[in-house]
Amino acid sequence: MMLQYFENLESGINNAIKENPESASARKRYTIEIARLGKRLYSDTDRKAWAGALVPFDLLNTMGVTSCYAEFMASVLVSTDIGMELLENAEQTGYASDTCGYHRAIIGAAHKCLMPIPEFLISTTSPCTGGQAVLENLARLFKRDLFVIHIPQDESDQSVNFLADQIEDMVEFVANHTGSPLDKNKQCKAIENTNKAREVMSDVYNLAKQVPSPANGRDLSNFGIVMPLFFGTEAAVEIAQFYRDEFKSRINANNSGVPGESLRLMWLQNRIQFKNTLVKMLESEYKAAIVIDELNDITWDPIDPNDPYVGLARRSISSPLHGTAKRRIKHIIELAEAYRIDGAINPCHWGCRQGTGARGLIDSSMKEIGVPVLNLEVDCVDRRNFAEGQLITRIEAFMEMIESHPSPWKK
Amino acid sequence: MEDKSKLIGFTCAYTPLALIDAAGFVPYRILPMGDWPDQAGQILHENLCPHIKRILDRAMQDDIPDLSGIVFMNSCDAMRRLSDAWQKVRPNDNTVLIDLPISKDDRSVSFFADELNRFAERLSQWGGDDIRPEGVENSIGRYNELAIHLNELKKRVNLGTLKDGSTRLQAIYNKAVTEPIENVLELIKQIAGEPDVIADNALPIYIFGNVLPDPEVFTLFESCGARIVGEDLCTGSRMINVIEIENNDKSLDGFKGLARATLSRPACARTIDPSNPGKMIHDVVEKAKASNARGVIGHIIKFCDPYLARLPSVREALKKEGLSFLLLEGDCTMRSIGQHKTRIEAFIEMLR
Ligand code: SF4
Ligand code: SF4
Repeated sequence: MMLQYFENLESGINNAIKENPESASARKRYTIEIARLGKRLYSDTDRKAWAGALVPFDLLNTMGVTSCYAEFMASVLVSTDIGMELLENAEQTGYASDTCGYHRAIIGAAHKCLMPIPEFLISTTSPCTGGQAVLENLARLFKRDLFVIHIPQDESDQSVNFLADQIEDMVEFVANHTGSPLDKNKQCKAIENTNKAREVMSDVYNLAKQVPSPANGRDLSNFGIVMPLFFGTEAAVEIAQFYRDEFKSRINANNSGVPGESLRLMWLQNRIQFKNTLVKMLESEYKAAIVIDELNDITWDPIDPNDPYVGLARRSISSPLHGTAKRRIKHIIELAEAYRIDGAINPCHWGCRQGTGARGLIDSSMKEIGVPVLNLEVDCVDRRNFAEGQLITRIEAFMEMIESHPSPWKK
Repeated sequence: MEDKSKLIGFTCAYTPLALIDAAGFVPYRILPMGDWPDQAGQILHENLCPHIKRILDRAMQDDIPDLSGIVFMNSCDAMRRLSDAWQKVRPNDNTVLIDLPISKDDRSVSFFADELNRFAERLSQWGGDDIRPEGVENSIGRYNELAIHLNELKKRVNLGTLKDGSTRLQAIYNKAVTEPIENVLELIKQIAGEPDVIADNALPIYIFGNVLPDPEVFTLFESCGARIVGEDLCTGSRMINVIEIENNDKSLDGFKGLARATLSRPACARTIDPSNPGKMIHDVVEKAKASNARGVIGHIIKFCDPYLARLPSVREALKKEGLSFLLLEGDCTMRSIGQHKTRIEAFIEMLR
């Protein structure tokens, strides 16, 4: 069923582009790549692994392992017709509805045989304890080997080296399962691709900073968290280049992502993964553009292609999904300033302790720099309790408030 | 350091108490107790575990004794967020967040030893004595002595021969993590001299879970006809265990042995053995069987991901072994457990 889904997704977009070449967009190219990844995951031919979100996918791609973090598949599954059934299934088997919806969807899918059985699993302690537990559960269910990576809290040399050593061990673990060691030439090429993608993504983000921004509220949704799945491949570079070209041409043509952009917003952590009208409403009613998602940023330096482990370790530790709230808030404030935002929306995804647990601290720090935050109470994955009407009312009140609130950036 | 009453706050059963002791401090566990208004949810989020929220509520109400410093172990998302929020609520406190590896392979042991070294430095900055390997060894010995005495008491509770059984034992556990070790040893020695009481015909029950510090809760279990014959709670027997330093580690720097021993303690649900996924589930079943319990009670506080994620498999594994299971979800308060009284009674009745 899911194989069919991804095949239809790819062919549907390709046909649409064939019929109307003008409709080809960076977002479509990106979605095609996602469909291809999905196809590979559900094929019988590829070697597969489920992994934690902060695993260096560059290395897995280089070693011929089609891999993905399980939450990504959850976000795809909940956007299909059977999404809510999967959540219900997990709950019926005793998975508390208070846990993160991504994880419930994964467990439900695994019980319904909708998660491909991997050759092995690699979990990471970050971003969340729940994710760690879910991969352990899957390893037990699928009776497959599990490799665990502990991502330390800080960027001290001691922590970086600990993680770099674990990544090296991971490579050995993978090689033991695939029977082929990591080819150093391929590794170099892959890291060069990663560095290129990094550079172009950085250009994309810089273009999105422009006022008005060439980005609309959908262009880059989930981008920063999904792109790492393609790191190490040429596809990652190409996708980033499509975005860069598209944003440049919009700027050259004086087209902003949201025509008549009047307010600029930041979206914190998770997007809502099922269909809803909130972003559209923000754009049409208030000319408000989501110009930056918290996870859309380059937080790491280029990686040495010949000696990548330390660089890869630094990259994982630098993720905005990881570390102390203090560090997270510093990053959010830097983004707020760089993108000159008028307000931020924090969906406070129900079930996410690591993300929502910093809600109050983010709120008060943003207040200090004059940027209001709207804290919603949403389960970004579970639409069963999605009270769209109430959310719209809250968003309307917030937008009216920021419309009358002096922007901290216009002196 | 002269003043032995100086306290170091801690909040997780993985905290290396011997290190705190070796620096001349008294470890003080900030237990999630007291009936304070719920305010922590405003800073954190309502969906964080009540263990963390109650501790923060205590901090917000200033219901914490003077502490020379506080150590948070990076055990789970909630604990990390508590460490963040603490700095906001009590900005003048000395705090440190110590990374706690998820497993106990050699790399993790070395890394954790470095973390313990960092902790030792902090303790000394906070006014503690210089920590020397002999001092750590001595403190491990003191805590081992305490653990052995506590185990003896636990055996009497299991047999039903200790007056006031598990209620009293829980009060002693709480004392053992909030007061100088000498006070507790003295008390335990007095109790050791008490004659055994005659065991009643209460039903043997094994209990596991996370946080359940209120001694009255155990009175409630007993009043429902249960005798706790085995327990694995992070505010119970999991707090203080005998630590054995492997010979290989003795010749190395002092913290490697302590690091390995700490990571090898009876594990809670947040710790993973990659070579045996789901080991925690297996452990619950084995310990329950070894205790000869007739039924198992799981007490899990809300929003605790490490436990919530493993519960369905625990339930299934217990069922396979023919062990009846009652799950209680609570919020660390007597009030929340009290609401389950009828269910506990019915569970015990069913097993008779
Ligand atoms: S939303 Fe939070 S709890 Fe859920 S997968 Fe993401 S980081 Fe983990
Ligand atoms: S392990 Fe569970 S009970 Fe303990 S702090 Fe973490 S979430 Fe709370």
